[in-house]
Amino acid sequence: MRKELPIIVTVLSGLVVIFSRYFHYGMQLGLMDTLDKWYLVSASFAILLGVVNMVKIHWGYIRRRKEGWWNSIVLLLCLFGYGALTVQQTVDGPQAAWIYNNLITPGDSTMFALIAFFISSAAYRAFRVRTKEATVLLITAVIVLLGKAPIGDALINGWGTLADWILKVPNTGGFRAIIIGAAIGAFATGFRILLGLERAHLGGTGTK
Amino acid sequence: MLFAAEAAKPYLGVFADGKFAQFVLMLVFAFIVWFMVTRAKAGMKIPEIRKINGLEALDEAIGRATEMGRPVHFTPGLAGVGNPQTFAAFGLLGYVAKLCAKYDTRLIQTNADYVVLAINEEIIRQAYLESGRPDAFNADDVQFMSDQQFAYAANVMNMFQKDKPAANIMMGAFWAESLIFAETASFIGAIQIAGTAHTHQLPFFITACDYTLIGEEIYAASAYLSKEPVLYGSLVGQDWAKIFVFAMIIIGTLIANFQAKGNWLTSILKK
Repeated sequence: MRKELPIIVTVLSGLVVIFSRYFHYGMQLGLMDTLDKWYLVSASFAILLGVVNMVKIHWGYIRRRKEGWWNSIVLLLCLFGYGALTVQQTVDGPQAAWIYNNLITPGDSTMFALIAFFISSAAYRAFRVRTKEATVLLITAVIVLLGKAPIGDALINGWGTLADWILKVPNTGGFRAIIIGAAIGAFATGFRILLGLERAHLGGTGTK
Repeated sequence: MLFAAEAAKPYLGVFADGKFAQFVLMLVFAFIVWFMVTRAKAGMKIPEIRKINGLEALDEAIGRATEMGRPVHFTPGLAGVGNPQTFAAFGLLGYVAKLCAKYDTRLIQTNADYVVLAINEEIIRQAYLESGRPDAFNADDVQFMSDQQFAYAANVMNMFQKDKPAANIMMGAFWAESLIFAETASFIGAIQIAGTAHTHQLPFFITACDYTLIGEEIYAASAYLSKEPVLYGSLVGQDWAKIFVFAMIIIGTLIANFQAKGNWLTSILKK
């Protein structure tokens, strides 16, 4: 029953979703909302798994004095300190909100800003490769880059229009083809799970 | 109030408003996939499917990590179990874990979702068990890092610099952190296999990684790697469903261009 029971639950949940999404009476019963609430409640319990995993791993680093172990002390202090603070004054409390707005948000922005440099290094490497595809990529990038900046139209009238055409026609067409393929792939995966053919989420190599 | 009651009137007395065509299409796709699976089960010939280079390269990537004595890193991205891409990653993780167990290569698996963490731990544990190496499974290498996007990204970057994995496998739903992972792994010289159905992250992966699975290919991964005819059958069904959709697009385009008034195909699809 270790594998059969989850499959039965999966199939029943799938059928409830189909009934609630396509049928008038299913929609009126609001079963999907109930399922969503059940998921949220069970997922909330899983937060504990995440905390236990973090504490176990970092406590091990401290105990074994692994390189950089003092970082683990800071992490555990922050984890439990901030947790205690938000329990005491909620996430909107003055100190809790200050820490979030002045430490976490700028940290996030810094990481996000790194992407600009990574884009440059990735582009440099891609354009350096001497293949037909890399050449097409380079030419397209130059057209779109200059077309989106004022210099494009200043150099040749209509450059911006060409850049817009590339973005709106071949680029959007390609993206939509990928999205349609991915949607059908997601459907086929869902159907395999409903048929019990794909069992990766139940552990092991994932197939029957 | 009267208007609202009229608007909610079921189509054919059963179907929710605007859902009839979607339901029929779902049945058609399900039939196509089921038909191919049944043919495969009966041992009948099913068409070949094309080679997916990114999946063929998995053995090479893990083999390289084994030769170099360095670990393999696997991430299913940021999404939780509500995203089908995460389910696609589960299938691949089992295969990767089995290979790592076979070659005695360390597998570091990082997570940004606690439900996914629990499932991944079970998948890896089971794969090591199936490979006859339950002793080699190290629960400390299945790590929850953070559910905050950039905190997770920073943690993974730190792990890359510290543990220097020789192979980086990224499969699932990714957002802005995709290029942070791919470029950092590239700096440490890791061979990279990535896959996502998020079109806005695909250019990053294609530029920075050695192999990229595009869109639907990630959903084919576990069936493709299993080499089981029945699952191969479902992939062929998936391709036939795609042909059906593209036929509809061509017909719709022709009607839109040549029919003076209205479009009967869109009218049917709106029902």
